[in-house]
Amino acid sequence: MSHSYRIKTALSRRKVLQHGAAGLGLILLSPFAWASEAWQQLDAAKQILNGATPITQGLTLDLPHVSEDGSAVPLGIQFNGDLADDDYLTDIHLFAAGNPQPEIATFRLNELSRYPDIATRVRLNETQHVVAIAKSHQGQTFAVSQEVRITVSGCLMRSEDSQTEPLTNPRVSVNQQVAAGDSLEVRTLINHPMETGLREDSSGERLPRHIIEQFTVRLGDEVAFEAELHQSISANPYLRFHLTPHQSGELVFEWQDDQDNQARHTSELSVS
Amino acid sequence: MSHIELTLWVGALIGLLFGAVGQASGFCLLRGIANTAQGDSRKLRAFMLAMAIALLGTQWLAALDYFSLSDSLYIIPSFSWLSLPLGGLLFGYGMALANGCGARALVLLGSGNLRSLVVVMCLGIGAYIALSGVLAPGRIYLEQTTSMTLASRDIAGLVTLPAWAVATPIGLLIAAWAFSNANFRASPRDWISGLIIGALVPAGWYATGVLGFDDFEPMRLASLTFVAPIGASLQYLMLSTGTRLSFGVAVVGGIIIGAFAMALVRRDFHWQGFQGPGQMARSMTGAFMMGVGGVLALGCSIGQGLTGMSTLALPSIIALLCIMLGAYLGVKGPLSLANLTSSQQ
Repeated sequence: MSHSYRIKTALSRRKVLQHGAAGLGLILLSPFAWASEAWQQLDAAKQILNGATPITQGLTLDLPHVSEDGSAVPLGIQFNGDLADDDYLTDIHLFAAGNPQPEIATFRLNELSRYPDIATRVRLNETQHVVAIAKSHQGQTFAVSQEVRITVSGCLMRSEDSQTEPLTNPRVSVNQQVAAGDSLEVRTLINHPMETGLREDSSGERLPRHIIEQFTVRLGDEVAFEAELHQSISANPYLRFHLTPHQSGELVFEWQDDQDNQARHTSELSVS
Repeated sequence: MSHIELTLWVGALIGLLFGAVGQASGFCLLRGIANTAQGDSRKLRAFMLAMAIALLGTQWLAALDYFSLSDSLYIIPSFSWLSLPLGGLLFGYGMALANGCGARALVLLGSGNLRSLVVVMCLGIGAYIALSGVLAPGRIYLEQTTSMTLASRDIAGLVTLPAWAVATPIGLLIAAWAFSNANFRASPRDWISGLIIGALVPAGWYATGVLGFDDFEPMRLASLTFVAPIGASLQYLMLSTGTRLSFGVAVVGGIIIGAFAMALVRRDFHWQGFQGPGQMARSMTGAFMMGVGGVLALGCSIGQGLTGMSTLALPSIIALLCIMLGAYLGVKGPLSLANLTSSQQ
């Protein structure tokens, strides 16, 4: 008696588990759950997705859960998802859902920068979700989002960093030699206030918008990497990315701001 | 090893040394003030000697252009004339209530003192309540409405001399005063602790300013301080998957391990707890006062007293004097602990 009773309860427990799992699955698959994803609530992201349902595996955001300094939150984005051999990512869009202008940056990739591992520093003005959407050459879409909690800074007594001269002191750190097909890490930094156009100076005057809008890297005549930057990129923009060059040439780095001023840096690269 | 990992390991090593020396010597500003009030100034002289060494080492490294101290959080163009002294007094008095500062509590924790565990936890929580928690808006309002701009950021600026030229005579003078006492000279435990702990301050600047220097991924120039880093250590324990290890947290971890190792070597490890709820309440109150006060004062007895002073920043001098005054009020006079507890009975 007691034996069969035990089997019965075991069975019913399994049933409960099955029902539970099915219910959970339904909730996850329901449109309601999809609509609660951060990118579904963001018009700019929906526009890029254009009705497509993105794959949520493969794209990874590297952000702190908590940051005490919203003016320069380190952000990394990597891709290790499944793509056909002849396919590659063409663009990655970054959004800060809670910023006055959600666009952070768009990275344009091609065969020279097909293994994205990008890092930068961004401005987040409150606790919010950061969203990344990627598109491949053959039309696959990927999405990921992560919440970042922003607390007030420990050192607000320090006034906003002394203003830097825009587009001065471009710095690039890159190896001069690389084996063909190997990944080459490139780190770039340039002075620029990246003035948002939303800030007021001490006398209450609105400071006009003044940002770097475009960053381009060429290897020889070929564009290797491009970034469109927006107000949510921190002052003195920092960008780290990877290239996989196949032939030697001159690497040319160009920064262009919204007042049509440019800065340039070149570096010789020999591929063996 | 990346430059960040290297800096963290050096930070842990600095903490290890601090913990071991602090455990063996009983290095403590509060003990120094309390003992001096009773005629034994050796511990106070050890602290002053550490300050002199920190000042000389830091200013000489800065003069040799290893780092620029204006990148540190002590050299600031303006400060609050209200919250900085208030924070210093709170910290000093809290230090007397809790029977030691944050760094001392870490050392004692490594020696098996569970009272210090309570102090460390309350101090860390108090610091984050004031830094980014429910008291943060009030703190920021207070700092902004009582902010005053300094005529000069450090002492050297007042007399328009290079910082090292001002620091050298001051440092030598303080060291000479420390050694002017025969009892202190006859107590190698105290003067050695002063020499080593003092040297750890420039070592910390060197770790974050030289070893940790990277144009592309900058690290804040910092050295020994124990208010925000104790809070950050608690946060790291809870959120390590989503936060990054910092120099201050590495130092905090190093101190506990260093003190633990030294306590084992000296056969001085003993589990200890509170004797009663009164003592516990006093320690917890003191620890919260240290946490909140330390944030208002931009540092603790070590952070402002040794590290801040080593930059010759004017606010650091005010903060240290207020911390010492607060501690003195806690050990002697009408507000002192002995006085308050006896009047209750």
